[in-house]
Amino acid sequence: MRKEQMNLIEMQNITKNYYLGETIVHALRGIDLKIEKEEFTAIWGPSGSGKTTLLNLIGTIDETSSGDIYFNGKRINSITDNNKSEFRNNEIGFIFQTFNLIPVLSALENVMLPLQIKGISASKAKKKAFKRLCDVELEQYVNNRPDKMSGGQRQRVAIARALITNPSIVLADEPTANLDFKTSNSIIEIMKKINKRDKTTFIFSTHDQRLLDQMDRLIQLEDGKIIG
Amino acid sequence: MNKWIKVAFRNIIKNKRRSFVTLMAIAMGFTAINLFSGYTHNTYEGMRSSAIRGAGIGHLTIYKQGWNKFGKSDPDKYMIAKNEINKIIKIIEQNDSVILATPRLDISGIVSNGRNSTIFMAQGVIPDDDKTILGAFFAYQPVTGETLNTKKEYGVQMAIDLAQYLQLKPKDDAVVMAATLDGQLNALDIQISGVYDTGIDAINDKFMKVPFKFAQSLYDSQKADRIVVLLDNWKNTSIAQHKIMKQLKDAGIECEIKTWEELSAFYSNVKNMFDMIFLFIFSIVLVIVIMSTVNTMGMSVIERTREIGTLRALGLKRRGINFLFAIEGAMIGFLGSLAGAAFHMMIWFIISILHPTYTPPGSSSPVSLQVDLLPGNIFFMLICMVFLALIAAIFPARRAAKQNVVDALGHV
Repeated sequence: MRKEQMNLIEMQNITKNYYLGETIVHALRGIDLKIEKEEFTAIWGPSGSGKTTLLNLIGTIDETSSGDIYFNGKRINSITDNNKSEFRNNEIGFIFQTFNLIPVLSALENVMLPLQIKGISASKAKKKAFKRLCDVELEQYVNNRPDKMSGGQRQRVAIARALITNPSIVLADEPTANLDFKTSNSIIEIMKKINKRDKTTFIFSTHDQRLLDQMDRLIQLEDGKIIG
Repeated sequence: MNKWIKVAFRNIIKNKRRSFVTLMAIAMGFTAINLFSGYTHNTYEGMRSSAIRGAGIGHLTIYKQGWNKFGKSDPDKYMIAKNEINKIIKIIEQNDSVILATPRLDISGIVSNGRNSTIFMAQGVIPDDDKTILGAFFAYQPVTGETLNTKKEYGVQMAIDLAQYLQLKPKDDAVVMAATLDGQLNALDIQISGVYDTGIDAINDKFMKVPFKFAQSLYDSQKADRIVVLLDNWKNTSIAQHKIMKQLKDAGIECEIKTWEELSAFYSNVKNMFDMIFLFIFSIVLVIVIMSTVNTMGMSVIERTREIGTLRALGLKRRGINFLFAIEGAMIGFLGSLAGAAFHMMIWFIISILHPTYTPPGSSSPVSLQVDLLPGNIFFMLICMVFLALIAAIFPARRAAKQNVVDALGHV
């Protein structure tokens, strides 16, 4: 445990290399980054700059090549796979560009999923999930399966799912990339509202200017390095 | 738990055609195994009854020590004397599981109608005891004329082909000749009480049943070559064998006791053959079930790679992924088995209505094809199928669980 600082996330000299045959791709080249609680932050930059990789490392769904990542002062990049799973379930909410809802489950069941993975009873999870779906104005679609919903509705289900466990941090990878202007705006508004109301930290990876305009902080990446 | 069962079930339904093919493969295998199992069960039951009651060998047969090795060369020495017969029967009948103990004397010689002669072999039996041993099997050996009875000391029951060869019918007379135990030629008159089908093609042209006393007269002896014991249940055979052996030993009688299984080589051979066929069918079904399930689950894993990545990102542990696919496999096994059980019941019902017949090898008349309905076996097979499908699902599930989360999420 590091006592000298209490940033929510601290990354120290992070590198991430991919191996494509004999070619090494340096996705991240010595990233030092601190994210504080309640931030509404975007990581932006051109395609291939390392935005998604950075988000994946914070979310512990990918491994660093070198460097350390601390969450609330605790190093998280060297814990076991089971502990990483528990960490993700308790502390992280994911919002994906392609929504990634479970197709055979209804909106309500999709939102209940992280709680049920946690071991919370179905009845409690149902109540909480319904409340979250109301937050994203989908109370009329609770029993709809993803294939019967529009892109915007699906993304709102994904937001509700990301928030259901009251995570410390929500990682949203290009959340508006597959949405039209109007839907994107409503999605951004919902997330901004939740950030203010619940003090949830949001980190986005995006190059959507509409989204960037709403941010409290912008982190610019280029060629695997923070340049601004 | 319910959540994962729901997910598994919905995924099975989602891929209707693929799931249907896999379920049918399991169902057909399940049906085949249970039908064959029901058939062999009925056949074993029939052959056991046929050996114990039809062929009259009883559950246990007691010989004097050495009979089976030296009895043919010196029968008189290894036969059971009159006083020993009574003593042995008295000891045996003390046991609760014993219904009957009866002496027997097998004889052979020549039988003649005055014009034609041929060899015969006969079982010397006490008529009333023989009826008790035959029991319900009596219905399967219908007799034209009269059955053996104590009133007619020289009345015999002749096998159908032998009677036909000698042109004899009930109430006709004939002569039998045989060497006595002393080696003298002896001849006795007989009257055909009844003509019957032994059920065994190979002996229908030479077999007779004669009264025990008549057999003793022909051999000019007061002895028996064996004592046949009928028990209340075939399952008691082994216990009764050891118990009676000890009782006779304690009484100073040296003897050998053979079980019906030891004496009925046909039963053992057929059982071994059917067991081997069963193993063969079971192995084929096992391979079909495993291959179908592995294939279905493998395709499911590939199609749902991104879903697996999402579940892992949401915090589901590797063993959770294993569990999810294992449930799906087990459910495929369970549903396939249920369908198989339904097919099995349907075919069993059709067989029990149509009563198809066939003639087994060695049999002189057709028998009806019967399949026993064995709830215990069906349940056991259902558990087996669920377990097999679960095991088969684990291989692709483990592969799914081991995937890197980012790679899984990026899968297209």
